[in-house]
Amino acid sequence: MAGAFGFKGCQKIRGPQIRNLLEAKDFFLFDCDGVIWHGENAITGAAKVVSSLIRRGKNVVFVTNNCTRPRENYVHKFYRLGFTDVMLEQIFSSSYCSALYLRDVVKVPGQVFVIGCDGLRRELQEAGIPCVEEADDPDATIYDCDLSPDVKAVLVGHDDKMTFLKLAKASCYLKDPECLFLATDNDPWHPLSGGRVLPGSGSLTAALEVASGRKATVIGKPSRFMFECISSQFRGVDPAQCLMVGDRLETDMLFGSNCGLDTMLTLTGVSQMEEAQEYRNSDQTTNHSLVPDYVVDTIADFLPAFEELDEQSN
Amino acid sequence: MSVSKCTRLSGALVKQLLDSVDSILFDCDGVIWRGDQAIPGAPQVINLLKENGKRVFFVTNNSTKSRKMYADKMTALGFDVTEDEVFGTAYCCAMYLKTVCKLEGKVYLIGSNAMRQELEAVGIQQTGVGPDHICGKPIDWANVPLDPEVKAVVVGFDEHFSYMKLNRAMQYLTQQGCLFVGTNRDTRLPLEGGKAVPGTGCLLQAVETAAQREAQTVGKPNHFMFDCVASQFGVKADRCLMVGDRLDTDILLGSNCGLKTLLTLTGVSTVADAEAHQKSGCPERQGMVPDYYVESIADLLPALQG
Repeated sequence: MAGAFGFKGCQKIRGPQIRNLLEAKDFFLFDCDGVIWHGENAITGAAKVVSSLIRRGKNVVFVTNNCTRPRENYVHKFYRLGFTDVMLEQIFSSSYCSALYLRDVVKVPGQVFVIGCDGLRRELQEAGIPCVEEADDPDATIYDCDLSPDVKAVLVGHDDKMTFLKLAKASCYLKDPECLFLATDNDPWHPLSGGRVLPGSGSLTAALEVASGRKATVIGKPSRFMFECISSQFRGVDPAQCLMVGDRLETDMLFGSNCGLDTMLTLTGVSQMEEAQEYRNSDQTTNHSLVPDYVVDTIADFLPAFEELDEQSN
Repeated sequence: MSVSKCTRLSGALVKQLLDSVDSILFDCDGVIWRGDQAIPGAPQVINLLKENGKRVFFVTNNSTKSRKMYADKMTALGFDVTEDEVFGTAYCCAMYLKTVCKLEGKVYLIGSNAMRQELEAVGIQQTGVGPDHICGKPIDWANVPLDPEVKAVVVGFDEHFSYMKLNRAMQYLTQQGCLFVGTNRDTRLPLEGGKAVPGTGCLLQAVETAAQREAQTVGKPNHFMFDCVASQFGVKADRCLMVGDRLDTDILLGSNCGLKTLLTLTGVSTVADAEAHQKSGCPERQGMVPDYYVESIADLLPALQG
């Protein structure tokens, strides 16, 4: 089913339109940062939205490019922030999906050299993927460091302990064309609360792409792979039944578009209405895929629609 | 000047070419030396050119040495060279900031001690050189204290590159009016011992991606390095030859500045690479086709000795 307007509306919707959407869709995909929480603070009303959807029998999953924590940590965070119905199986992070990709899609036949934090390594280890152990002497250089002979994939994610030596080792491993080159995501920067930003995985991946002369296969949004993970774990998901809700045009909206899903931009995060309109007005047709079908100020805008639906059934 | 390009330079052509120029610019890595070994015959070529009244300059994208460090290396390898004949990106970057940007203020530097020295030599203070490890939490990194005197971020080769440095550079670049300069975009840095590691281009790309801003680069193929040589020594483009081993930096610089160009095959690029650019029919790629090529600059010796 195409968007209610039949084209990329990029229009703010309220009450009755949201109600129609809630009735029409049965699979809701939410980004996390900037959509349901900001750091350690839940967006007002978000927990109620999630539990209302679940109570109505809708499928709800969370799709995040954040690769710094294992999924168990997310379950705890959900609970801490008042989202009491969320279970491990509903959480899809780029680190978890990277592990699935290595284990099930490429069936990696050796070790993985990881540029990333502990959260990423733990997801790989839990999936049974062997990672090269980082045991470099602080004074080691590319001449005298150990290079593992059995590396069959390099995986780049957010790594606050990134060093030149890691970059050099990774580009050595990538000289072998049989060695895979994966990235958890391409986000150039990540927002923190208070309008601050930090360098993202995308900046580290870009450095390694230049060093190796190769392009990374990106697991996270906007690549389709995380949707394929979701689909295989829910035994088939009809894109027409889905709504992707996110705050970042270049990742969430493009992801939705790439997977054939309807998309909704919430304005509580990174992207602003003006940016969406610029993409819509752009001459480059590829930019149109970044335009959301629907826009809300906050996902709390769903709440009046739930009340109306409750009233109707009473 | 001949219209045909990518001609093998030999026989009488060598003397003809040398007679048509007064100044010759040489790249270093892959042209006069590889790592810490001189290309056989290279010192004699340089020294004979000077004896024959030619002016000789060295133009290198490698930012890890100051002009003095380069001159010392050259002297040790038998090249008769003075400091002021060497134009490395550490020096040229400092000159760019001083004379073109007219920078007043400090630099946040991702780079080497050589870069620090060249900046200090033109009176520009820097902060950031050396190891910089992460500590604290993400919110601390995002709120890292910024020196209010910093007015430019400069990126060169840095073996101490880290996430924290990338972060600091990005934070400075979010400030209004902060300049962003890189030494060069080479993807690999040739090192002593003949190995290669990720080059400045990688580090620069990381910062550019995080900051979503493009740097101004000083090194080849940008014409600034030739402008430096020309303005200091009165070099005329139509009486000048550029000798290099990389089509996308050395030869392109030469083409961009209207110099004659000579490719030597002791380094990165091959004749096949040059012919591919030539046959591509693509206008942007024609600047990477050299006028001439030699197997090694030692091929110039017979004409110089005769």
